[in-house]
Amino acid sequence: MSLLEIQGLEAGYGAQAVLRDLSLEIVEGSFAALVGPNGHGKSTALRTVSGLVRARAGLIRLAGERIDRLRPDQIVAAGIVHVPQGDMLFPEMTVLENLRLGAYLPQAATHAANRLEEVFALLPKLAERKHQVASTLSGGERRMVGIGRGLMAGGRILMLDEPSLGLAPIVIDQIYDIVQRLAASGRTILVVEENAMRIAEMADRMHLMDNGRIAWSGPGSEFLSRPEILSAYLGG
Amino acid sequence: MEIFVQVLASGLTLGAMYAVSTIGLALVYGALNMLNMAQGALLAFGGYVCFYVMQQLGLPAPVGVLAAMVVGAALGLTIYLMVARPMLASPAFETQIFIATIGIGSVLQSVILQLFGPQPKAQPMTLPGGVSLGGVVVPWQNILILAVAAAMLAGVAWLLGRTRAGLAIRATAQSREAAQLMGIRIGRVYAQVLALSGALAALSGIMVSSLSGLLPTMGADPMLKAFVICVVAGLGNVPGAAIAALLLGILEAVIQYIFGVQYAFAILLALVIGVLIWRPYGLFGKRQVVRL
Repeated sequence: MSLLEIQGLEAGYGAQAVLRDLSLEIVEGSFAALVGPNGHGKSTALRTVSGLVRARAGLIRLAGERIDRLRPDQIVAAGIVHVPQGDMLFPEMTVLENLRLGAYLPQAATHAANRLEEVFALLPKLAERKHQVASTLSGGERRMVGIGRGLMAGGRILMLDEPSLGLAPIVIDQIYDIVQRLAASGRTILVVEENAMRIAEMADRMHLMDNGRIAWSGPGSEFLSRPEILSAYLGG
Repeated sequence: MEIFVQVLASGLTLGAMYAVSTIGLALVYGALNMLNMAQGALLAFGGYVCFYVMQQLGLPAPVGVLAAMVVGAALGLTIYLMVARPMLASPAFETQIFIATIGIGSVLQSVILQLFGPQPKAQPMTLPGGVSLGGVVVPWQNILILAVAAAMLAGVAWLLGRTRAGLAIRATAQSREAAQLMGIRIGRVYAQVLALSGALAALSGIMVSSLSGLLPTMGADPMLKAFVICVVAGLGNVPGAAIAALLLGILEAVIQYIFGVQYAFAILLALVIGVLIWRPYGLFGKRQVVRL
């Protein structure tokens, strides 16, 4: 059964329509990837799911419940965790304060101590850096804080917007290693990624976005074995 | 020595009054990127509410102060709900709210004029007498202002640093979208910040009017100074604003003593220009955080 269900979603900024009739289903416990060229609405899709951008039409359901008319804080409470593009850490706070804010809601705060241990076990670098101010961290460390902060919320689905953006290749490997471990633990994950070939090797399911809607969906293995899909939409 | 005590006492009192209203301004700018130009009118309104409660209703001073702060908070909340909230989504929010709050300020000032008339009035919230310190009599009123301001600043520091609401305010100020993604209801944070700032403005208004009397336009000068202090400290920086307020208060007292009252503001502004050439982001300001 699908945990996240998007139907006929339309959204945009001002007069600019970005999502046009977007439909998408994410199965519980699966590792899904949303790929496609820049500027075709991948980030906007995540931002609309988490309520930062208002949906103009269509609906979004989480475990059967409509969430598209809720405020962002209510959507977080419903179980959507969105790790935004570029991390958006709280720059003047320490790593620990950033992580604690991930568990801001009462339902998450009760599990904060346990989750913090889990986050430090998964991302030991953060334990070393916990009293360091976020703005002084390296790009890779910042990305880890962003992901760790998302994990602190618990939630039912983890949405990661371009976790590899702006990182050195070796750091990208580390980050994707972490994402794969999260996926292996049974978490539902939706990753937005520019590098479709790379994510296809990991993801259960690929969703190719073209001009605000899903142009192709299928298993990662099929995506890899049919290069014509990629060339048709990415011109590659 | 006597002069030193006198100048220091008057400087600290000025600084404490400035700090209370500046912090409200800095909180609001930090959280919403909103320059509240109605702050001066809120200051005056607070002073008049305290006057009304004590003089016309004959109630004791603490009731007057509390009533003024409650009215100030209610006005701040009203400004948020009626004016700021409908504009928040606009890309030109900062300019729009700047102009809109100038209008609110004029309206509030006219309301005061209608209700209390243009003649200056004495603020009944005063303590008579003084205490002798190093051969100088420091009025109890100054000491009271200092004590209340210190308690208020400590209270705000505690709120921001130690409470859940304060955490939400700081998070919202540092990254509005990230705060929402943490489950923080930013609309509520904005409402709280404007209410708090309104209450602080009212308190500051009582302090100012207890020294220089009540006039419908009395808020203009402290508001201008609060803006100057905010800019010197770095817009939106709350602890920096408190420190800068005390520094500028003492500086103003020193300049007044050496050069005379008429030069104080001019020299102060010249120094501020110097500071801003040297540090364009303010003394404690940080370079604009890059938001992706």
